[in-house]
Amino acid sequence: MKQKILMIEDDPLIRNELDTLLQSNGYETAAPEDFDNVIDQIKAEQPHLILLDIKLPGTSGFSLCTQIRTFSQVPIIFVTSCNTDMDELNSIMLGGDAFITKPYHTAILLAKIASLLKRAYPVQQSGQMACGGAVLRLESSSLDYDGQSVELTKNELKILYYLFKNAGKICARGDLVEFLWDNQLYVDDNALSVNINRIREKLAGIGLTDFIKTKHRQGYTI
Amino acid sequence: MNRRRYWKNRIPFLLTNLVCMAALTVFLLVCGNSISAVLLILVVWAVVLLTGLFLTYWKRKRQMQKLLDIAGQLSERYLISEVMELPEQAEDQVYYQLLKMTGKSMLEQIGEVRRERLEYKEYIEQWIHEIKTPITAMKLLCENHRTVWTKELLQELEKTNRFTEQALYYARSEHTEKDYSVREMSLSQVVHQAIADNKYLLLQSGVRLEVEEMEDTVYSDEKWVRFILNQLIANAVKYRSGQPVLRISARRQQDQVVLVVEDNGIGISPADLPRVFEKGFTGQNGRMVQQSTGIGLYLCKRLCNKLDIGITAESSGQGTAIFLAFHINCLIHEVQG
Repeated sequence: MKQKILMIEDDPLIRNELDTLLQSNGYETAAPEDFDNVIDQIKAEQPHLILLDIKLPGTSGFSLCTQIRTFSQVPIIFVTSCNTDMDELNSIMLGGDAFITKPYHTAILLAKIASLLKRAYPVQQSGQMACGGAVLRLESSSLDYDGQSVELTKNELKILYYLFKNAGKICARGDLVEFLWDNQLYVDDNALSVNINRIREKLAGIGLTDFIKTKHRQGYTI
Repeated sequence: MNRRRYWKNRIPFLLTNLVCMAALTVFLLVCGNSISAVLLILVVWAVVLLTGLFLTYWKRKRQMQKLLDIAGQLSERYLISEVMELPEQAEDQVYYQLLKMTGKSMLEQIGEVRRERLEYKEYIEQWIHEIKTPITAMKLLCENHRTVWTKELLQELEKTNRFTEQALYYARSEHTEKDYSVREMSLSQVVHQAIADNKYLLLQSGVRLEVEEMEDTVYSDEKWVRFILNQLIANAVKYRSGQPVLRISARRQQDQVVLVVEDNGIGISPADLPRVFEKGFTGQNGRMVQQSTGIGLYLCKRLCNKLDIGITAESSGQGTAIFLAFHINCLIHEVQG
């Protein structure tokens, strides 16, 4: 089941783009367009998480947050351009779960959303991904194939994770590097080639050859 | 009080007295008084006159010195008219009145300027918060619709954001007490955040990044330190050389944690090194690179001073290292431990 995120944001462009971003990351979204009866809408939509702007026409995120907290413990992320300490303090005192300032990094926003959802609605997630007979085990940082297993380093695991997540699609080198940077692994273009080669060698060691294919001038795919 | 000038000012009065003495002498002699009697009168007159004059001089001098002392002790000298007593002399009272008038009008002026400046600062802050909405929108647009040029656009947006932050912190650096909260913060977290802020800049300029594991936590304001790191990273990229490398590491030194941001860029010449933190100073290498404003490091220094972080620069011709020294507060650790 998809989890639903409610965005309370007055800028229509940001609302639209956030909508696209969240939907492409596998969330269901809803966004009120007028702010007079937001509370009723929240009650009707029953979202799993709320993104709340502080400055809203006719009302403020703080007062909305207070009202929401009277009937629900849904996780609330404050998203605002005011980065003063008072605002941050207020948002936490009123029951907000996180505080992100604009312009935010989408990777950080998505990570915050994911971690809050995970904490609020714990589900048994299978920590593994499969593709073409190979199974990537995220917890033990290893890859299984044909009864054999190989250990992976942090870099290798993240690279394979990205490839598995986008299995069947071509992953551009630039996007891959960017993904690694978002995960605080500062790998440059050369180092990426080195890492890919090392993964190929490791995979060949357990009989998995030609698993990662190079698409000339485009990137990698599995 | 200038003694010579004081006595010079008394010359008309003394002359009047001399003329009077001469007239009296002539009158007394004509009336048939003896010379000795006349001389006695003149001597008595002169003694009384001079004693009076010296006493007044001494009293005035003491008065004036007292005023000067009071003014010297005041931190706001212009408040002297509020502190001093109402003088006895008629002319002095006029001056006193004048002093009060000028003081009042100046205070009004200052008040107005202060209010205007505060309003302007508030406007700037508000403007910056407003500009962040379109920046966010543009960023999201770029990230949702990736094409060949969006990465460059994202880099430009990072730059835009850095400049707006610079303006914001410039405006705020004068009133830190309002916006600053010292908390325990993890060095590695703030470093990773600052790198994320400059992701596209670093990726596009091909900087090799070496970030060491940092486990230290320090007590400081995260937002400010992040801003300072942003400026340092931007500088490292701006003054980069052929194969740029940026190293960020931390080490413990006695009662300090020192965060080091080093690059292998064009460096700072020894002559310029002592002045890099001055406002508007661009230096020899700065003039070769476009967009050197001499504001970045100045602001860093200023914010560091307010946060009590020691900031120093080192450069050996090639490459620059900036050291941020955070004090470890033993008391806090003791209380928590």
